[in-house]
Amino acid sequence: MSESAGGVPDVSAVVTIAVTPVGVPGGPGSTAIGRKRSDFVYYGLRNKKLVFGLGVELLLVLFAIIGPIIAKFSPEAFTGAQLQHPGGTYWLGTDTLGHDIFSQLANGLRESYLVGLLGAASASIVGMVLGFTAGWRGGLLDEVLQMITNIIVMLPSLVLLVVIGSYLTSRSVLFEGVFIGLTTWPWVARAVRAQTFSLRSREFVEMAKLSGKRPLQIIVKDIVPNMASYLFLVVILLFGSSMLLAASYDFLGLGPTGTVSLGTMMNQAQNEAALLYHEWWWFIPPGAVLTAMVAALLVANVGLDEVFNPKLREN
Amino acid sequence: MSVSVENLSVAYRSHRGDVTAVDGVSFALADGEIMGLAGESGSGKSTLGNALIYLDPRMKATGGTVTVDGRALPISDTRAMRPLRMTEVSLVPQYAMSALTPTRKIGKLITDLLRSHHVPDRQTVMTELKRRLELIGLREDVLDKYSFELSGGMRQRVTIIMSTLLNPSLLIADEVTSALDVSSQRAVGEMLLEFRDRGYIKSAITITHDLSILAQIADSIAIMYAGRLAERAATETIVNEPLHPYTQALIASLPEVGVRHDQVTLTGIPGRPPSLVNPPAGCRFRDRCPFAFDKCTQTPPFEEIKPGHSVACWKVSDSHAAVAGRAGQEQTV
Repeated sequence: MSESAGGVPDVSAVVTIAVTPVGVPGGPGSTAIGRKRSDFVYYGLRNKKLVFGLGVELLLVLFAIIGPIIAKFSPEAFTGAQLQHPGGTYWLGTDTLGHDIFSQLANGLRESYLVGLLGAASASIVGMVLGFTAGWRGGLLDEVLQMITNIIVMLPSLVLLVVIGSYLTSRSVLFEGVFIGLTTWPWVARAVRAQTFSLRSREFVEMAKLSGKRPLQIIVKDIVPNMASYLFLVVILLFGSSMLLAASYDFLGLGPTGTVSLGTMMNQAQNEAALLYHEWWWFIPPGAVLTAMVAALLVANVGLDEVFNPKLREN
Repeated sequence: MSVSVENLSVAYRSHRGDVTAVDGVSFALADGEIMGLAGESGSGKSTLGNALIYLDPRMKATGGTVTVDGRALPISDTRAMRPLRMTEVSLVPQYAMSALTPTRKIGKLITDLLRSHHVPDRQTVMTELKRRLELIGLREDVLDKYSFELSGGMRQRVTIIMSTLLNPSLLIADEVTSALDVSSQRAVGEMLLEFRDRGYIKSAITITHDLSILAQIADSIAIMYAGRLAERAATETIVNEPLHPYTQALIASLPEVGVRHDQVTLTGIPGRPPSLVNPPAGCRFRDRCPFAFDKCTQTPPFEEIKPGHSVACWKVSDSHAAVAGRAGQEQTV
């Protein structure tokens, strides 16, 4: 335990504790790397927002994994018991067709996560590749990429989905996820481009050029780390917004065919006027789970920002 | 002769045509020589320094060759230059204090650099690095810090260490002392000398507008005016017996220790340098020069009038020719 001299605040003491155990073994290179990773873990575990957000998210993920296994019925099975209140046999009740709500909720959540992952992955890959390219290269290439970006921004995605959907006999989860990704990347590309633009004229990037680094190295080692927290924010926000977007498409009946999702549950509840008949166990669980899922992500995101930006981590 | 620059011209592209910021500059550096490059703002000294290592897309070399250790530098080919940066030619930029990325620790940053230059034995270099840190009075634990945890002077020194780590043949130090207080200026100057003496750098060009720091560290001084070299000579010669009217005016405008300037007015140079967009023909100092005469409408050659002393001025080369002519006549008689 390091002593803190007189009125020195706790911060310095905390830093020393974090550093000493890891910093000793290994060469200079490995020391720097080892310390850096441990810093993130150290500050991450002490950030209440991050721990809370990730905790809630972890519970929901566990539910999405274990729920379908422990559910007594298949989400599509007609149990015969219609509009049961939550209870012993049907933990969260049943709907008008006799589907088990618990099973639907667990399977639907799994579906939502899958769409969220697909959407976030495809949107961030396309957005970042185009954003970094445009921002780093500039010039004519930038103009062309900007034009493409603006065209995609202008596309009404809902109408596009209806049009494409009418040509397809069935829509898969993969289709929905990738469709969401390919219609939401433009704002990622724009923001990444703008940040790259401002970072590439910073002195340390100039210095990297002067010291003979290759462009890809400069982007990965000098530019990305300076916007890492932002990129994390982007991926997490994309993940959340993809799930919300998927839920709204599903709610409108444009979701994947033949599967259950949080959005389709709410769609059916709406169609059967569950709200009107006070069948709360039908529409509240999917709504609440969806809200918790997205809210927890946002809280975790604020926490992550503090962890990744050494200047923000004061407490 | 470790570095030789022949007739180098560098232009900035602009929509009004090319602006030639460096115009036919030639000079050579001996092994172990530190050359000071001085001149006022916009005289092209930084452009010259940058051109030797990194031509950014707005700049282009319009002529001339640069040779380092007998090898021609491919200055117009940024891809071919890449492996030579930091190993053959290195630059400590004007902004040395903010040249370290804020999100990586110094040690990691340096390891990255070594990796991108495919340095085979990184461990040895890191040991050497620690030795050099100690030499300039920095503790080894700066390697475990972020750049914003260091003071400005420490960052400056770390940047210089970093730029010289791979023992470049030529180091270009661009205004490295400008943002420092006087004692740090001296420390940085001595650090350059020390590095030269220990062979970390073979030769150096120190770009500055501060002649007093050059007087302390430079072996020779080149004076640049409006994109061209005006005069080049050993430091004592430039300080004590400058020949070019611009150098004379520049030296005269420096304050001197012991002179009370409430009694003696410090003189400046009236006028301002010409625009480099369509610069006037002939000598570019003509309009501000007290000795200008008819011949100055032609461009004066940058001539070596004595061994190691070159001047671009008609007045000087004419009188020198006259003296030499008379001496020649006396010999024949």
